[in-house]
This record gives sequence, structure tokens and C-alpha cells, in this order.
Amino acid sequence: MKITIQLRGSLTKYFQGEKVRSVEVPDDCTAEEALKTVGIDWTAIRNFGFVAVNSRRVMIYDRLKEGDELKAYPKISGG
Amino acid sequence: MTMLGYQNKVLRVDLTKKGATTEPLRMDWAEKYIGSKGLAIKYLYEELKPGIDPLSPDNKLLLMTGPMTGTPIPCSGKLSISAKSPATGTINDCSIGGHSALQIKYAGYDAIIFDGALKEPGYLLIEDGNVQFKDASELWGKGSHEAEATLAEKYGHDYSILSIGPAGENLVTMACINSDYYRQAGRGGIGAVMGSKKLKAIVIKGTGGVKIPNIVENTKKITEILREDTLQEDNTFIYDYGTTAFLEACSDGGILPSKNFSDATDENWTKYNGDVLLEKRVGKRGCGSCGLGCGNFLKFENATVEGPEYESIAVAGPNAGIDDPEAIVKFNQIADDMGLDTISAGDTINFAMEMTEKGVHDFGIRFGDKVKYLEYLVLMAKREGVGADLALGVKKLTEKYGGEDYALHVKGLEYPQYEPRGSWGMSLAYAVSDRGACHMRAYAPNEEVFAASIPPYTAEGKGEMVYNLGVFNAVKFSLCICDFWATLSYERMAELMTLITGREWTEQEMKEVGARVLNIARAFNQREGFDRKDDTIPKRLVNEALQSGAAAGQKIPQEAFEDMLDQYYAVLGWDKNGMIPDDMICKL
Ligand code: SF4
Repeated sequence: MKITIQLRGSLTKYFQGEKVRSVEVPDDCTAEEALKTVGIDWTAIRNFGFVAVNSRRVMIYDRLKEGDELKAYPKISGG
Repeated sequence: MTMLGYQNKVLRVDLTKKGATTEPLRMDWAEKYIGSKGLAIKYLYEELKPGIDPLSPDNKLLLMTGPMTGTPIPCSGKLSISAKSPATGTINDCSIGGHSALQIKYAGYDAIIFDGALKEPGYLLIEDGNVQFKDASELWGKGSHEAEATLAEKYGHDYSILSIGPAGENLVTMACINSDYYRQAGRGGIGAVMGSKKLKAIVIKGTGGVKIPNIVENTKKITEILREDTLQEDNTFIYDYGTTAFLEACSDGGILPSKNFSDATDENWTKYNGDVLLEKRVGKRGCGSCGLGCGNFLKFENATVEGPEYESIAVAGPNAGIDDPEAIVKFNQIADDMGLDTISAGDTINFAMEMTEKGVHDFGIRFGDKVKYLEYLVLMAKREGVGADLALGVKKLTEKYGGEDYALHVKGLEYPQYEPRGSWGMSLAYAVSDRGACHMRAYAPNEEVFAASIPPYTAEGKGEMVYNLGVFNAVKFSLCICDFWATLSYERMAELMTLITGREWTEQEMKEVGARVLNIARAFNQREGFDRKDDTIPKRLVNEALQSGAAAGQKIPQEAFEDMLDQYYAVLGWDKNGMIPDDMICKL
């Protein structure tokens, strides 16, 4: 299925500075699996923050569907 | 044991008698509380009589630096300003950026303690060891920006100036203290304490230095730490975006409050998000000793500000039903000039908007009314017209007019702009914070919202989480290090303390200091009569589910909140009522 992946802040380096890519991922895959298809293993990125689908924060193991917009944020701290 | 980094000197200013004396810093307390937040609270715990009126001459206003202040340690330029709060009756320590902390240290002091009150408006001029009381009758009534500009013109731009606006003069219990025009010690009415002492400003310049051990070698090590730790990309987002970066994350995270916390999304957020605001950026600035420089100067046609910070954007934007970026920036500018805390002032008007819309009491303002929003700030600072009521803040307004079901505060301090129904741990953090609802004491979204695999909507483990966050911040703020050094660790803090003081510090000691600071703050409040009954969750969060956003459908059951409180007290060794046992108090 086709989804878009958007990276925020310093994570854009994994897309060589691009912010958004349209990608083909396995049907019914999780956010974690979708990120792996573009070479991003969130567990190996120290400042990985969280993911949102269609602008709603979800858990990394939640499943995606066709046309979803997956957004990945770096860690944010302070207040 | 001697420790370097300190000046070992306190300046005591008796405003009633117009006299100033110096005395050694209590190094035995510094060993246990380090500086800034922790040491300030220890001094106030020991020196303030229980039950005093915070706006009487009996209260003390304490400016406290830390051993790292004035050294090249990155992000170490914050000053702690503390007193008993007139808004809550609790301890209140605020952290202000800018350059005043460095000037105090270079003038030869670790701390300045103000006691008593002037009879007529005045300001204090401190040039190293020379302390002069000056007449401020010409400045009284002026906005903080004009007062600072006048004093900077008179003495030079190399002096640091701390000042209050009309809100502080008029004893509004949400008045702040300003420095460098746009930096604030914002919360708990600290500006009203300064106003009650009739002290319009403190003007200070120091020409000395700070002694640290092995200066050449240690400075080299500090520079390496700056380059390899502070300036890595985990931290430098704050240089690029300031706290405007939080807006989109909070919106996606389901914790961006809208219309007085009635929901947690705003479909218009892209109109005032970070990218839109930063198009208007004309300059950058940072506090003294900062390697990150988060300050952004924005210039709109009719508004200029350094900021606005996330809190100010959220309170005057979605939470007020306003989506005009220029109005939000203007709100920030006026609040700073009037000397009002943007969070409490904004929340109070937002509450009044809902009261009006619900027909409970007509304050003459409804959500989205950006013209009146700005006018009301001035009226609040001057206590004129409807502003006389609004200056009371949310808690006192509910006592007068009702609306408790949607009054968002803890102990009388209005809620910051992180919606707890999307971050359950935050409801606990606000409840147990030492000065009422404050987001700086334990920043729960960092752990449970801005994290990929931690569930935000559960009570499980949240007591320990908030405790751990609280201990870490308590020690970080006692070292006077800024929040935005996100990669800071206990290990690093111990290393920095060793480099500056010349005595070996361990991670374990750092943790012990943090826990001690949480306890001394609680002990202060306990002595004032606070206990579990005051560690509260606002009714709206328990009774009303969010309708939209990532946390749609969420509310926090009262039992879940009580469970989190039980967990938190248990980790600290406090009893079920949230009281510290006597044997623990003796050791503080
Ligand atoms: S990051 Fe910002 S608030 Fe922190 S010390 Fe630097 S300039 Fe000041």
C-alpha cells in the first residue's frame, strides 16, 4: 500500500534533507515496519521521539492503512 | 570543605532601614542544596516565619545564583528569584534568563536577599561593592520596557536590570519580574512581592570574576563538553525554532489546549505555528553563558517581541480561540511590558471568556475577541474596570462567581498549556509541583507523549515517572542550568560540579540533592498547612472527555489520579496524606 512518511526536525537527515516521501509499504504494516522500509530503525536513534498518523500521536506498533500520513518526530524536551 | 565557584558572600538589603550588609554564604547548606533553586528554598525555609503575609515586609525576595553562574559552563546563566508566593501561599522559586545572574556573581555575590519594604518607590543600584538606594518616583507607573530603557540609557547597556511593570506595583498576584526586556521570572506573583517592597528595579554591574580550579585545563574540558554534548542536534533544535517547535508536536500529541481546555486540538494551528512566526524573525539572542541561544526576535507591523514562547502562543492562541499570529505576539509584548505572567493572565481571560459564553457571569469578552484580549491585559495590570476582577486570577474568580467545573488551576496557580488528558502524568506533575500548577517541575509529555512506545493514558508507573523527572529538574535548577540542554545527565552534572568546585561529586550525590530539594520545598508548604487536599486535579479533567485529537475520548478518572498520588507519595516516603515524616524533616 502507499503511504507518505514525513520527517520532522533533525530526523530529515535520514531523507537527505527532504521532509516528505511517498512510499510503498507492506499492507497492514505497523509504523515501526513502515519506517524500516525507508531504512529508519527508531530503536537505534537516540533522539527519536514519537510518531503520529494523520496528525494524531500513535504508538509505534500501531497499524497503518492505505493513504496514511506517517510523521516521525525527534525527541523534544524542556517546556 | 572549601568549594570554588562560589563567592562565599551574600548581600543583605534591608529596605525598611535602607541599609546593606554582607555575610558569608552558608556553605554547609550549599553542600546540601548547591545553589539557585535548592539553596534559595533552604534559605527561605530557615528565614521566613510560617504564616506571614507574602505581600507584607515580612516576606523576603531572594536572588540566588549557583556555583556555575559566571563560568563558561553552557546554559548556566539562569537566576533563581524566590519568595513566598502571594498567588498560592506556597514557596515560589522562579528562573529568569538574561544576564543578571552573571552580573550578581561578578559583583561579588552568590545571593542578594531583600527584607522589609521601602516607604517610597525606589530602585537599587549595585556596582560591585557599592550599593545605593535611588528614587524611582519618575519610573513608578511606567511599563517595564520603558523603565528598563530609561535605566539603561542612564547607566549604560552593560548593566543588567531587573524590573517590574504596573502589575507588580499594583500587587497583582500574577505579576512577573522582567530582565533584558523579554525575559521573565514569571509565575506565582513574584513581581507583586517586589512591588510590595516598592522596589521598581535592581540595576547591577559587576567587574570581578569567578574562581575555578585549574582554570586552563578545566576551561578546555568545558569547551569540549560544549562542542560534543551541548551543541549536538538533540539540543540545537531550540536554536533553530525556540519553543515554537512544540506547537505542532503538542497538536499532534493531543495536548494543545483549546478554548479554556475544553478540547485539545485547534484546526487553525497552522496559521500561527512556528514556521509562520519565524518568517518574521529579525534577530537571535541568548542568555549569558548560553551555547544554544533560543531567543527569537520577531517583528510584525504593530508588534515586536523576543519570543513568543510555546506557552504564550498556546494560551493566547488556541486556548483563547484566537488564530492571528500578530495578535498573539502583541499579547506577549503587552504582558511583558505590563509585567504580567502570560500563562496566568491568559488563562484568566480565557476562563472569563467561557464564563461569559456560558452565561454564568458577563465579563464582556468571548472566545476569539483579540481586540479586547489585548485591552484587558492593561486593565488587569492597572486593576481598572473589569481588570479589577480579572486580576484576581482563576481561583478567586470561581470563589466570587462560580465556574469551578472549568477552572484550571492547582493551589491558585493557573494551568500551563499542556493538556493532561493527553498526558496523564502531567495531571500529577501539576498537582504535586511545589508552587501550584507548573510545567517546569516535571515535564511529563517528554516521557509519555513525545515517546514512541509509552502509553500516556494510564496511571501505572506515573508516580515514579513524575518523581524521577522532578528529582532531575530539582538538581538541574539548583545548578542553575537551563532546561534546553536536553542531553544533560546526572553524570554530566556531577562532572561539571567537580570541574567548578574542585571537590569530587558523584551521580549519587546529585540524585540525593534533587530529592532533598523536593523535600525542603514540600516541608515549606507543609508548614504553611498544605497537604493531600491541596494536590488536586481540576474537575474538567475528571468529568469531561476530550472530543477530538490524538487523545479524543480521554478523561482522567478520580481513582486513577488518587492512585498516581499514592504512588508518588510512596516513592518519596511521605505518608498517605502527603506529609513528610518528622524524622525526614530533621535531616533536611
Ligand atoms: S537555551 Fe534559551 S533560555 Fe536556555 S540559557 Fe540559552 S538562551 Fe537562555
